[in-house]
Amino acid sequence: MLAGRVARLAGGMHHTWRRSLQVRVVTITLVTSSLLVGGFAYLIADKITNILVENAETDVRLRLNSGSDYAAKQFSLYSQAQEAQLQDTIDGTVNYLAGGDPQQTSGVVVGIIADEYTGIIEPRFSPDVEVGPLISRELRATVAGGNIASQIRTGRLAAGPTKYLVYGSPVPTRFGQVELYYLVPLTRQAATAADARATVVATGAALVLLLGLLAALVTRLVVTPVRVAARTAQRLSAGLLDQRMVVNGEDDLALLAASFNQMATNLQRQILRLEEMSRLQRRFTSDVSHELRTPLTTVRMAADLIFAERDEFDPAVARSAELLQAELDRFEELLTDLLEISRFDAGFAMLDAEPTDLVPVVHRVADRLAGLAERVGVAIELDVPEAPVIAEVDPRRVERVLRNLVGNAVEHGEAKPVLITLGHDQTAVAITVRDHGVGLKPGEEKLVFNRFWRADPSRARQTGGTGLGLSISLEDARLHGGWLEAWGAPGQGAQFRLTLPARAGDRLTTSPLRLVPGDAALPFGGPRDGGLLAIGPGTGGALAVGPAPATGDRAEVGS
Amino acid sequence: MTPRRGLAAFLAGLLLLAGIAGCGIPEESEVRVDGQVTAARSGSSSYRRDEPPGPTASGTDRSAFVTNFLSAAAGEADRAYYRVKQFVAPDGRSRIQEKQPSEVALTVVRLRETPVITETTDGIKVTLRVQQIGLLRADGTLVPPVATDTEYRFKLSAAQEDKPDAGWFVKDPPPNVLLLSDDALRQYYQTHTVYFWNTDRTRLVPDQRYLPLAVPDERRVTEVVKWLTAGPSEWLGSGTSRLPDGTRLINNATESDGQWEVNLDMPVDADDKRIEQLIDQLAWSLPELDGQLELKIHNQSRKKVPDLAAHRRANPAYPITDDPQRFCVYDGAVHPLALAGEASGQVPVAAAYNKGVVSAGFSRSGDAVLAALVTTGADQRQRLTVGAGAVPVSIFQRSPQSYASMGRPVWLRSLDPERPQGLVVADGRLYRFDGNAQLRVVPLTVEGGVTAVAASLDGHRIAAIVGGGLYVAAVNLNGGVVSVGPARRLVTSLTDLSAVDWATENSLDLAGSVGRPAVYQISVDGALETALRNDVGARVTHLSTYPLNPVVPFSSGNLMYEANGVAYRNNPFDTIKRDQVLEVTPPPAGVRAGNPTAPFFLY
Repeated sequence: MLAGRVARLAGGMHHTWRRSLQVRVVTITLVTSSLLVGGFAYLIADKITNILVENAETDVRLRLNSGSDYAAKQFSLYSQAQEAQLQDTIDGTVNYLAGGDPQQTSGVVVGIIADEYTGIIEPRFSPDVEVGPLISRELRATVAGGNIASQIRTGRLAAGPTKYLVYGSPVPTRFGQVELYYLVPLTRQAATAADARATVVATGAALVLLLGLLAALVTRLVVTPVRVAARTAQRLSAGLLDQRMVVNGEDDLALLAASFNQMATNLQRQILRLEEMSRLQRRFTSDVSHELRTPLTTVRMAADLIFAERDEFDPAVARSAELLQAELDRFEELLTDLLEISRFDAGFAMLDAEPTDLVPVVHRVADRLAGLAERVGVAIELDVPEAPVIAEVDPRRVERVLRNLVGNAVEHGEAKPVLITLGHDQTAVAITVRDHGVGLKPGEEKLVFNRFWRADPSRARQTGGTGLGLSISLEDARLHGGWLEAWGAPGQGAQFRLTLPARAGDRLTTSPLRLVPGDAALPFGGPRDGGLLAIGPGTGGALAVGPAPATGDRAEVGS
Repeated sequence: MTPRRGLAAFLAGLLLLAGIAGCGIPEESEVRVDGQVTAARSGSSSYRRDEPPGPTASGTDRSAFVTNFLSAAAGEADRAYYRVKQFVAPDGRSRIQEKQPSEVALTVVRLRETPVITETTDGIKVTLRVQQIGLLRADGTLVPPVATDTEYRFKLSAAQEDKPDAGWFVKDPPPNVLLLSDDALRQYYQTHTVYFWNTDRTRLVPDQRYLPLAVPDERRVTEVVKWLTAGPSEWLGSGTSRLPDGTRLINNATESDGQWEVNLDMPVDADDKRIEQLIDQLAWSLPELDGQLELKIHNQSRKKVPDLAAHRRANPAYPITDDPQRFCVYDGAVHPLALAGEASGQVPVAAAYNKGVVSAGFSRSGDAVLAALVTTGADQRQRLTVGAGAVPVSIFQRSPQSYASMGRPVWLRSLDPERPQGLVVADGRLYRFDGNAQLRVVPLTVEGGVTAVAASLDGHRIAAIVGGGLYVAAVNLNGGVVSVGPARRLVTSLTDLSAVDWATENSLDLAGSVGRPAVYQISVDGALETALRNDVGARVTHLSTYPLNPVVPFSSGNLMYEANGVAYRNNPFDTIKRDQVLEVTPPPAGVRAGNPTAPFFLY
């Protein structure tokens, strides 16, 4: 639940990050300025704290020195630690150094410890508090070793834990050495340091916010015209060619807008010109086709007459009459195809979709081409479900596409069987046509759909076919919102797949049938029979293709 | 790209937070060494140089052990019990109840005879027959005795049963007393004079204290200043003033580079005059210091004396300048005495009044001389004649009353020359007199006939023999009225006391009898007694001294007395002969020349 929300939030943020230049600029500004200001604030606060502590140390050091001198003077009267009144003098000295009045607590604790004379000289502190671990063992050892030393410790003498600057100095006496300690609370310094820190942090935070705001403002100044430009460009690309940007002032953005507008004008002019030319060309093709049809009809009638009477002619003339008849058939087909193409180009092609059972369509196509197949010795095999496969399609166009595909397969089948498979699922229906002819070279899968494309240009067009069949089929498939794809490998034949949405207007995501046939050998050895291919990111940005792991979700990918 | 930026932002935030949180004063830091202190100087050997011997010092000598036991308490008060307990057998130590160091008081006794040590079946018994002298307090004062015991008994036991030569233990010490013999007091203490101002703050009054010799030299200044802040001895209380209440020494007085520093805590702010007076007190109470002295009040330097010796010279404790002059009464008149090596003076009394004199007392007061003469009239009654003025004094007043006998008059050396005051004993009573020779009885706090009176150099203490006992008392001259404070009886081994005078600031020369007439010097608290002369031969009827003092040193003999009608002097002890009397007309032939009598000093 939470993870989902976080993921959603992260996704949203990611989206925003990618979408908004402003967010990116502001974020980067905030991050870098935070780093800079933070570092600077750290330096300043550290410096202030150091100065405060140093001042306190200097202060205490001075007090310690004078206190040590005083204590040394006081103790110079004694030459033995056991001497009477030495303890009194220690008490008095400690009280004196602490400010005289043991009741009055300024927070400073002064103490004298005689590590050399434990048991003879009692340690004394004024005010009389349990100092305990505030004077660390290391410090005691250092001071007992004849060093003036200091340390900051935290302890609880009065109310609440307080930081203390503990300063110790040995006091040389005639009977040996005692150690004088000053414990000065750093409450005031800590408060001042905290104040300074708070000020620095507040200033830093304000600065960072200001910078962020500034960045947002500046970016907004730049981004807004860019967004306007983007919107204008989108409208332009949507066909609203008369969209223009508002030009304000003379700055760089104004220049951009002006240039943009100029570009739009030029593009508009060019596009209109090209459209006009395209329109003229299509019109020309259509007109030529139409204009050719009338004389062709006349020529056809004359040719039919001559063909019907060919037995009465000289065999050479009879042969010519036969040739004439055949070429006229081709010419008529070409004209029909050209007209069809020009309809598509002109956008006049209309889908006449109706719920259709595709099983009889497949059978019909197979039956119609059975004669031709028999002639070239190709067996047409069908893999069609028993049950009806209903889809909202234009049956005339689907049949034309199938006829084209099967015709091509038979033509290039090289006397090997052609397999027609019909598959369907919830959303789509698919028909594949498999042949085992010469196949396609790599890269030819796309070229086959080009107009008048030939696998071997030198090869004369012996058989029928205008070179426009697959182009028209592709247009038909697109008209349905479907796919027409080709697969082929040299020596392994080819397979074409037509995928159509089960309901007209739906968007296709997958196809019920695979484009690459199961019996195709793959260059890298391929997966086990019936296995799946795994395609994913490989090293160096390459695409890695290999056998899919045995388990895992199956996802089949279309083009 | 994005995750990396997110990471950067996160790190930045972390750094910021860590930076802000991390740059405060640390909870705990490393020990930072800041310098070295040079090693301590090695201890000197001045410690315990004058400690009394311990219990094992006497070996097997029982009488030496007893003597050492009587000196064990000597020394600093806070270890007195410890030292005494060393002498006591472990099971008897509980009999000694310890007191606070400031309340420790040693019972000072004078042994009447050597300790009697008898060996009985019950063990070794020691009997001490003693005279109670006083109680030595921790503040160095010796107050009159409170104990009345004249005898102390205790037993000795071997320190170790199996080893008879291991020494002794006191088995059952006298309870609740720390005994100190006068010999031990003499041996392990030194007398030290401190000075307090009189109530008028016009004159310093000496106060004698005992300082243990065990106190190292460096701490003596501290002890003296503590005495000064604690106030005068009890018996001087009525005649002297104290420092403001609550005045106390902060820690010790310290010395550095020859300069002593005294830091006082004084609750009342003292004006400069008081500070000056305190400095005078310090300067005279610390005669061993010659260098610089700095007086601080609450750490504020109030006064710096660059040279204490010079300060003492500039501010003498007593207003005396010249050597004393000796006079005597010869043939009914005062005559100067001329002793070898001493300058002699002129009689400061006009010749017209210098007749029929029995005894006389002179005193210098500035340029003037105060003269009091006891004269005998035709009725054989004695009267007091008093005069004051420039030499020769020629204006005299005679007392209206007459007395059967009068002692030698003494002047209280008051600072006020306009209102001189004197004391005289007449017919067993103490009188005071002024410049008009008006005698008025001075009430005393003790009953008895007064035999003799003597005034000290400062004029604020008197010694008197009352009812056969020797007393000292403080004198208060407030408002020009002489009032004598509570009298303190001094213990002396002399009996039949006849005459007394002040020998030094803190001791008296006393004439009496130890079976035969003798002259002793006795300290002002009676503790220390020194025999000056044991063979006077006859009862001393008249005794006069010049009090030795630090202002005008005097090396010649300062004592003169009269016994059996013959005048004597000391140093060396000798009679004062007639030819040493000046301005004498030789007696006509056939008439036996008289003797000089009633010798006295003019100072």
